[in-house]
Amino acid sequence: MNTKTRRIAMNVGGGYIPGMNAVVKGATLAAAELGWEVVGIRNGFAGLLEPGDYPEGGLITVSPQLAEMLDPAASSVLGQSPRDDPFHMRHVDEDGMLEEVDRSDDLLAAFKEQGIDALVSLVGGQGLSVLYKLHRKGLNAVCIPRSVENDIAATMVSLGFNSALSFTIEMLDRAREAARSSRQIAVVEVQGEQAGWLALQAGTAASADAILIPELAVDLDAVAEHLRGKMSAERPFGLVVVAEGIGLADASPSADKPSPMQASLSPLAGGEATGHAIERSGRASKIVANRLQLKLAEKTYPAVLGPWARGGAPTAVDRQLGLGYGAAAIRALNEDQDGVMVAFQPPDIVFVPLLEAINKVRTVPADSEMMLIARTLGICLGGVQ
Amino acid sequence: MSAAGSPVTGTVLNIQRYCSHDGPGIRTTVFLKGCSLRCKWCSNPESIHPKPELAYDARLCSGAKECGLCLKAPFPEGAFFTVPGPDDKVRVNWDLASDCDQETVSLCPTDALYMFGATMSADEVLDEVEKDASFYRTSGGGMTLSGGEAAMFPDFATALLQGAHERGINTAIETAANVPWRFLEQMLPHVDTVLHDLKVMDAERHKKWTGVSNKRLLENFKKAYETFPDKTFIARRPLIPGVNDDEEDIRAALAFIRPHKNVIDFELLPYMRFGLGKYHMLGQIYELEDFEPPTEESMQRLQAIIDEAFGRSGEEAPS
Repeated sequence: MNTKTRRIAMNVGGGYIPGMNAVVKGATLAAAELGWEVVGIRNGFAGLLEPGDYPEGGLITVSPQLAEMLDPAASSVLGQSPRDDPFHMRHVDEDGMLEEVDRSDDLLAAFKEQGIDALVSLVGGQGLSVLYKLHRKGLNAVCIPRSVENDIAATMVSLGFNSALSFTIEMLDRAREAARSSRQIAVVEVQGEQAGWLALQAGTAASADAILIPELAVDLDAVAEHLRGKMSAERPFGLVVVAEGIGLADASPSADKPSPMQASLSPLAGGEATGHAIERSGRASKIVANRLQLKLAEKTYPAVLGPWARGGAPTAVDRQLGLGYGAAAIRALNEDQDGVMVAFQPPDIVFVPLLEAINKVRTVPADSEMMLIARTLGICLGGVQ
Repeated sequence: MSAAGSPVTGTVLNIQRYCSHDGPGIRTTVFLKGCSLRCKWCSNPESIHPKPELAYDARLCSGAKECGLCLKAPFPEGAFFTVPGPDDKVRVNWDLASDCDQETVSLCPTDALYMFGATMSADEVLDEVEKDASFYRTSGGGMTLSGGEAAMFPDFATALLQGAHERGINTAIETAANVPWRFLEQMLPHVDTVLHDLKVMDAERHKKWTGVSNKRLLENFKKAYETFPDKTFIARRPLIPGVNDDEEDIRAALAFIRPHKNVIDFELLPYMRFGLGKYHMLGQIYELEDFEPPTEESMQRLQAIIDEAFGRSGEEAPS
């Protein structure tokens, strides 16, 4: 048990995610119980690295009174920090030239100068790696996992996933009704670059006809055949749910070829470099809808939920999870844990070393119960079983 | 050699032989690594950072089951990983993989991992360039320094340009000139042809699309035209619809260069989206993916304005 009074900083890596204020509240109230002080760093690490940008100061004192007043559905008082990496900060040097510089030493010095002895950071997959690097350089850090895709392997649930799932189900219900009304096939893309949890769970709940996820190879001939079998005069519509990171075995490379002149200007001009066909929001649904259209008589159309799932109010689960994760982060510090991520491994919240948390993607296992349920309900999972 | 007597070195991205669009004749283009702008349309992201840099071509990876060498020492802990699923190829944690050095990377048996850029001395580069000296003589060609931004490295660039002249090789440089004037002042005496960008004349748009204002670089160009009247200058613009393809900005560029008789042309380079794959190889995001190349009609219309300003008919325009 740590008995000394401590000054803890909190920050948020990335943009808004439902439940972030619950984390702030949970950590602040738990810290107050120990007599610790909590300060928030504005906009990721910017409040420490560029305090001059904040007339009211780069740090904000988060009192228990303030924490209790936080709106559960609002953005965090700590701000946001998309693509914030202290190891690669863009900077204009004294000669007016742009460069990316490593400001991690400045950051650690700022922590010291402010008398902050530990950081609680709400981060996604990339943020975990950045925090691991800072931890290796001496920062006492406890991370809280956030991911609407639920793809951080060391925890069963990341903050934000349940809210995104609820929203996605509601939207898929609407997409299904719209497809029914127009007698068409909706191909709806949801988030999931490497893991298909959101597509699989939401698609199953919304009774999709087919669900395509990154974990399974996709055979669009088989998907089209499945849709033909499902559609009839009485049921002249379809719903296909596509995770944005699916791979298509026959994905054709980009049509863009460099001109000889441009090729001569570029040492490596040579078109696409990877076989990974789908790497951007909106592309997966467009490609699948277009290719299914070539195989089916009924009209197909793409729709993209994508980043919409990141907004909105947190569900009851995310509010509880946020409070629990925030409080657990303080418990970790009180138990002298360092360089860990809090994780929900039912029935416990545990502390996982950051090195074990990074680089592991929580994908949908081929023999998972969720896949079995979907198949039992007659949902096509990509066509290749 | 530097003042201290040690060889002048720099980070060279590539030495490309038989180039025909980087100045007169057949040329060898030396690409230096490092740039002082961050143009959102950049098709050479591997040229931006001045140090050697890890790249990964997933197409060449033979997979973790067959190989998996990069998943263990001496590769940095956590730098590479795999994801369960049909794709067995390794993934890169770009935050941790930046610790990889050339020696470690060279252990990859399929060259899926490799480094962009190598440290070379000026003499090493010039020895390579000199191999095609006979082509330069017969075609009127020579060596072109490109980048990135070659002018960011005045000592290395000067050593290359001066060394090329000493070996009887014609020199050219491609530059956007976002560098202190003293850098250009040091290099330009050893340059025969200057190919320089005029990306956007509107200052606000220039900052939006390249990350910096164009105030200094326009001052540099003007000073260069006037300080080096015997040099040949060719202005160039990568033409990107919606960014810099409006007549007003083209005419502003012409108004800027035409008073200077040593600026002999203003070339339009149509934007092509061929750099996308390289962003993936470096673990970066390409922000301009939805932009399209300019239409033939647009190119012709703007070229006609340029031809008129240079007092020539379209048929006589340089190819």
